[in-house]
Amino acid sequence: MSLVNYATREITCKIVYYGPGRSGKTTNLHYIYGQVPDDRKGRMVSLATQTDRTLFFDFLPLDLGSISGFTTKFQLYTVPGQVYYQATRKLVLQGADGVVFVADSQARQIDENIESFQDLHANLAEQGIDARSVPLVLQYNKQDLPRELILSTGELSDALNFRGVPEFPADALHGPGVFETLRSIAEGVLKRLSAGTSAGVTAGSRG
Amino acid sequence: MTPFRPMLEALTRQRGVRASLIVSENDGLVVDSSLRFDQDGDRVAALAASMYRKARLSARAARLGAVAFLQLDAERGRVCAVGGRSDLVIVVVADPAANVGLIRVELFKALESLE
Amino acid sequence: MNIATVEPWVEAPLRRFVDDARARLALLLHPSGQVVAQAGFTREVDVMTACALAAASHATSGELGKRVDGHAFRSLHYTGPDRQLFLSPVNTARGAYICLTVFNGESSLGLVRMYFEELCHDLAAAAPPLPAAPRPTIAADFELDLNRNLAALFGREPAAT
Repeated sequence: MSLVNYATREITCKIVYYGPGRSGKTTNLHYIYGQVPDDRKGRMVSLATQTDRTLFFDFLPLDLGSISGFTTKFQLYTVPGQVYYQATRKLVLQGADGVVFVADSQARQIDENIESFQDLHANLAEQGIDARSVPLVLQYNKQDLPRELILSTGELSDALNFRGVPEFPADALHGPGVFETLRSIAEGVLKRLSAGTSAGVTAGSRG
Repeated sequence: MTPFRPMLEALTRQRGVRASLIVSENDGLVVDSSLRFDQDGDRVAALAASMYRKARLSARAARLGAVAFLQLDAERGRVCAVGGRSDLVIVVVADPAANVGLIRVELFKALESLE
Repeated sequence: MNIATVEPWVEAPLRRFVDDARARLALLLHPSGQVVAQAGFTREVDVMTACALAAASHATSGELGKRVDGHAFRSLHYTGPDRQLFLSPVNTARGAYICLTVFNGESSLGLVRMYFEELCHDLAAAAPPLPAAPRPTIAADFELDLNRNLAALFGREPAAT
């Protein structure tokens, strides 16, 4: 739910990176964290297991700057991808303004991608949200791996992108596609807000 | 029923006593209570524990030693409290006409049995 | 005391709560983790992160309660060597919020709980009804702004649009 403060002219939006385990959600956030100037980011928080798998979520607050006179802040979250963290995925998804689905391009991961994508839609539906109303961007990560191991963007698109949402090939470890993905979801979320379809618009006082 | 109940009921049977409570000084939470009607045990416990704690710290700051007995007289009644070595404080809420001397004796007896 | 709010009707009740309960800090947040208001010694914590974690903790205890007790657990209390936390929901006409209260030995759980009940009552009474429809907020030039800012974030030239 976007939070808009008219008095201080601030917008805060929540974006959730969703996808199967080890698809590169946390890597996306790490790359963003590494690239963004210090004055534009808060501390990145990771609730991870001893083996560095995301246990609950990663959290990265970003100060996007002024958009149409509004100071715009994004809060980026990742969900844990492993199947058994279903309950925590639902919790992190609550109140999301936009979702980035990070798919693993490896051919052997296609079933996990599809299962996770269905899981996303089921979790949104369970919260009474029409998945079609939430800005969604697909990212096909690990496109840097040898071609014989991965599916092409077209093949992944055929399998996952039945809604025709924006999609980007990416190599989150080294950066290609990360910026484009973030740009696209930011645009989707703010356009939706602009159209007045996001809930939770509030008046404000002094900040 | 906690083991404190008979002791608290004995206190509440005293003439003019409206409520007696055992309260954790640190948490301000009720451990057990015996209340007449019209008493909010949680509120009394939270505020009495805070008051007792302040009194204990004040006595210590003034190098007066431990607090023996705390009595607050208000327009429509009084609050008495005693505490011992543990975190527990016994609190009594009484009418203005209640016999404070007797309440004091009963509170010390109760404190002995508590420790 | 520092106080900052997104919603003006929250300010007076929250300020009074921090004063009365002798809390170090109180944060009011949306269940999604976004900050609505903050009062007290707000420089003691990274507020945005604290809210994200508080929302997660609240959601977790709620779900845990449903599994253990059939109903969501409402409140949480954590104790540390010097500080304690009290986390509890507040329901108003504007929706549900969560209040994170940080306190130390100057206060107690009993006092915080007692004044928290008053805070809930005050907020419920002060909450204005939800606005009929959200107003559009973004002007036509937002795409230019978006590109400029994203480029600044990543230290590269804005993409041509």
